Order: sequence, then structure tokens, then C-alpha cells
Amino acid sequence: MDLVLQLLFTGIGIGAVYALVALGFVLIFRATNVVNFAQGEFSMVAAYLMVVFSVDLGWPYWLSFLIALAGMALFGVIFNLGVYYPLRHRTYLPVIIATIGASILLSNSVLAIYGPQPQVLQGWFDTPGIQLGPVYLDSQYLLIIGVTILLVLFNFWFFEKTLLGKKLQATSQDKEMASLLGISVPTMIMITFIYSAVLGGLAGILVAPVLFVSIQMGSTIALKAFAATIIGGFGDVAGAIVGGLALGVIETFGAAYISVPYKDGFAFLVLIAFLVFRPQGIFGERVAEKA
Amino acid sequence: MKLTRREFSAGLAAGLAAPALMRSAWAQGATIKIGMCVPVTGPAAEQGLWAQNGAKLALAAVNKAGGVLGKQVELVIEDDQTTNPGIVLAFSKLAAQPDIVAFLGSIRSTQVQAMAPDVIKVGKPVMIGGTNPDLTHSGNPWLFRFRPNDNYSGRVIADFGVTTLGKKKWAIVHSTDAFGTAGGKALTEALTKLGAPPVLDQGYANQSQDFTPVVLAVKQSGADVLGTYFTFENDLGIFARQLRQLGVNIPWVGSPSVVAVSSTKLAGPALFGTYGVADFAEDSSDTAKAFGKSYRDAYKTAPDNQSAWPYDAITILSAAINKAGSTDPNKIRDAILATQKFAGAEGEYNFDKNGDGLHGYNVVKNDKGKIVYDKHIDFND
Repeated sequence: MDLVLQLLFTGIGIGAVYALVALGFVLIFRATNVVNFAQGEFSMVAAYLMVVFSVDLGWPYWLSFLIALAGMALFGVIFNLGVYYPLRHRTYLPVIIATIGASILLSNSVLAIYGPQPQVLQGWFDTPGIQLGPVYLDSQYLLIIGVTILLVLFNFWFFEKTLLGKKLQATSQDKEMASLLGISVPTMIMITFIYSAVLGGLAGILVAPVLFVSIQMGSTIALKAFAATIIGGFGDVAGAIVGGLALGVIETFGAAYISVPYKDGFAFLVLIAFLVFRPQGIFGERVAEKA
Repeated sequence: MKLTRREFSAGLAAGLAAPALMRSAWAQGATIKIGMCVPVTGPAAEQGLWAQNGAKLALAAVNKAGGVLGKQVELVIEDDQTTNPGIVLAFSKLAAQPDIVAFLGSIRSTQVQAMAPDVIKVGKPVMIGGTNPDLTHSGNPWLFRFRPNDNYSGRVIADFGVTTLGKKKWAIVHSTDAFGTAGGKALTEALTKLGAPPVLDQGYANQSQDFTPVVLAVKQSGADVLGTYFTFENDLGIFARQLRQLGVNIPWVGSPSVVAVSSTKLAGPALFGTYGVADFAEDSSDTAKAFGKSYRDAYKTAPDNQSAWPYDAITILSAAINKAGSTDPNKIRDAILATQKFAGAEGEYNFDKNGDGLHGYNVVKNDKGKIVYDKHIDFND
């Protein structure tokens, strides 16, 4: 039982990381109908910004955190204007390829600027974790789980209860109609990119103390987050969260009880099963119904 | 002086051709070129940077001492992207340049394995750092290893743990790539010979984000000592922290990555007190000390085996070409194989018929973040 609880905790912890990155995928997909394959690199860039401010320049952690997130907001604007906006009237394929190109450019730029050495970033807390009976709770994972819960609540409130959230939803559902109703579609898409970059950045900063800061950190998480998004139902905020958590728990238990080397295999087996039997994901609506 | 039409034409032709002829002569004879396949991008980019640093340091020393065959030596670098297709492509790009006389391959066994068939086809010497024993034991005459292979590391880890630490209940954790699998196997064989077969043999895939299931398996096995073969320092750092967090504090004797500079920095206190076998230990010899000093002077950081082996590879290769007096591949091969009692940064090189230069390991300890040399163990068989 101790083993199960320990695995459950770390499974949910790592799953929450996938969920945070998956949320970024979903938001951009809803707004633009394209998958942003640079979403993982958003996390990596934010983690490096944090290292620059907090470690290299020695600024206080909270200040570095706020500046890194502000930097990510600006990054979202630049990404939208540089990658999405010039191609917005084309089919989805050029935009997707542009995001893949951007992800390669980002990781190689960081490599060229910062070098390949992985960096250590401290967490928020001095104590690494707490022992609760037989289960060890890593403080950083606790923080990640807490932030994920808060973000789920915030997203629900923001998209369902606020005017801006409703405008964003309207834009994602039908851009032409939204435009006719006086909603500025480019502005809404810009806001989505900003929010998505900040969200990806937040995930990167939160996970950095656990996984270290490296050029690869974004791509490895993004791959799982992408799978989580499909499992949850592409375009569904709740689905991204549930998909991410489910994936984290499945791979942790699969590794512990079946085979560690095939850990990543379990995640993708589940993904394939979903693609075959339920391509719309857990919460997704049938494409036929939507049409 | 009167110039005939024929003389004028001949003079004009010679004048026009001269720069091209000179360029061609210059290109053929100006420098001795050595190709290097190295990860500039990908998960081992950090290791690749260290390798380039070590090679460039040796190159500068060789050139300062007069070069090779009276010419300066030049390094031609290609990015292998830390992938098998990447290294095959990088090697083929370098192999297509006929004036490259020899190559430096990868420290990653998996990638050396991937390029090995092309190495036979090209038929020129390739210096490698991959430690999977099979690389030099499968009849490829062109691979020369500048680190001890894992038959030795497995024996040293087993011997040190069983004899010196007195531990017999082993858990082995290794990567499932070519390096980790062969290392885990070598350690298991060595332990079995010493009458201490491991109670756990646990593989993991590279670039894992969470090692909780591995740590719990070690914990549940009831092992009183841990032996590891980790490929990437980043993975090792995550594992080390989780191991300590989940309360596993048994002695740990690992392959060289456990005492690498990057691991020591990333994992911090989680690696204090661990032992590692290290092909490069700064205090193990005067040559190692001298290399350590020149590396620190040049790059402002301590070196480890990632840079020590390319340093030795360039040094020994250059000496071998000078001794051979030619860039003929067969003559270089003979000269490398004839290299005996050569004091390198990694240890004393005595090449055997397989192309293995080193036959033992140093044991070092992480003493609160400082890597302290303990002893050197060499084998004659």
C-alpha cells in the first residue's frame, strides 16, 4: 500500500507537469486550429530566463519569477507576430511547420547563447520535501499539483464567467461570427498566445528544480503533453488536465509493475488505443456531431 | 625583347593556371586533417563540448611542438546530433573528404556501433571513447579505444564493492542503451564470479523524467550496495536526488558518469560519499595533473573523462603518424598498435591487438563535492 501511495503521488506530480504544458497546446489549438509544436520550448525558454535572472544575476527568486513570466508574455507576442500572424490566412499545415521550425530555432538559439551545460535551479522552498507516514512528498511536486488545481479553477472562471473569456471562446468557435459581433479576432489570438506562453513558461519554471534546466527539457515533456492532449480530447481544457494526470499515473504504475524500460511505451500505447477506439478523446465531442 | 605569339600564349596559360595549381598544392599539403564526429546538438551536446575542448587543447600542443610530418594539424568537426542517423551522416560527410587521414568518433557506444560498418568500408583509423567491450572485439580493425572498456569497469566496481566495502547484496541500475546494457552485464558477470550475484538488475530508458519506480525497486530489493551505469549526467542527477529523497542511503559505486563534473554539480549533496570508477582522475599521475592544469587554464573549469580521452587520442594519433612517417592508413594502424607505455591523461596506454589502449580503472570518491583519487587497478588479462 505504501508503494501504491508513493507511486500515486509522483504519478500525479509528473502528470500535473504534462497537464500544464498540455493546457498551452489546447488554448492555442482552440484559438487558431493549429498545434503549436514549440509549446515545449516555451517551458525551456522560461526556465533559462529564470536561471539568468535568479542564478546568474542573483536577483531575488520572486522578482526573477515575475520578470521571467513577463518575459514570456512578450515572447508570446513575438511568437504570434513572427510565426502565426504572417501565415494566418494559409491552411493549417504551413503554420504547423512554422511552429516546428520555431521549436528548432529556439532550442538551437538557447544552445548557442547559453551553451549545452544543464543548469541547476532552486525551488521555492528550502526543504526538499516532507515525510508523511510512509510517503515522501516532494515539495516541488506539491507546488506543481497545487498550481495545476488553481489553474483549473482559474480557467473555468475565466472562460465561463468573464467577458474576455467568453470573447476568446467565441473566437475559437467561429472567427467570422465573432468578427461580425465586433470582437477583434487578431487581439483575441494575441491574448491566447500570450496566455499560452506564460502557462508554458510557468510549467517550465516549476519543473526545472526537479528535472534541471536543459535544452531538451521542453521537448521531452511536450511529447507527453501532446499525448495527454489527444487522450483528453484535443481542444478541451478539462481533457488536457485529466489526460496529463492519467498519463503520469499510467506510466508510473506501468513502470513499477510491468517494466521500467518501457515506461514511455505505456504512454504511447494508451495514446494509440485512444486514437483507434476513441479519437475524440475522453471529453472531446465527435467530429461528426460538431460538423 | 620580342615575344612570339606561342610564348605569349604559353605565358598567359601559365599565368592563369598558377593560382589554381598553387591552391591545389596548398590544399593537398598545407595541413594534416583529422575528422571529428561529436555531438554539438542533442542530449549529449554538453559532453560534445568537453570533447571538443580536450581535442583542441591537444591539437594546440601538437601544433606548437611542430605538428605532424612537419605540417600543422587541423580538426574538421561534424555534428552527430547525439543520434545514430546523425553520426552515420556526420561520418560519411567527413569520409567523403579524401585528405582527412583519421577520425575521432564518439564517446557513446551506441553511436560507435551505428557507424562501425562504414568505418570498415572507409578503412581509416577511428579513435573512440565508447566503452562497450564488443566495439573493439568484433573484428573491426579500424577502431582504437582511448578509454578502458567495461569489462574492466565491471570488474573494478565489483572488486571494490565486495572486497573493500565488504558488500555482497547488489542492486544494479543501468541504461538500456548499448553502453548501459553491456556495462550492467559486465558487472553482473564480475559479481557472479566473486560469489555475489546481484539481487536486482534494473534497466531504464535514457532521458527519463521520473525515477521513482526504479528507486522503489532498489528499496524493495533489500540490496546493501548499488552499482550503476548511467549514460547521461542529467538522468543521473534526477535519479540521485530521488534516491536520497526516498530514503535509500546504501553505498553506491558507479561508472564514470557518477563522478563526472556535471553530475557532481547537478546532484550536489545527493552524490556525496559515492564511489566511482574513473578513467580520468586528476591526481592519478603527473600527466593527468599537467592535463588538468592546462585544461583549467584554458577553460576555467576542471576536466573529466569527456575531455581527457580526445586529448589522449589526438596526442597518440599525432605521435603515431610521426612514427609511421606517412599518412597511409595501414602504417598509422601499425604505429598505434605498437604504442606501449605511453603516459596519457587517462593512464598508461599499452595497445593490445584489439585496439584497446587502457586496461584498468581508477577508483575515486565524491568527498563532499570534491573528487578524491583512491587507487588504480590494472589488469593483465
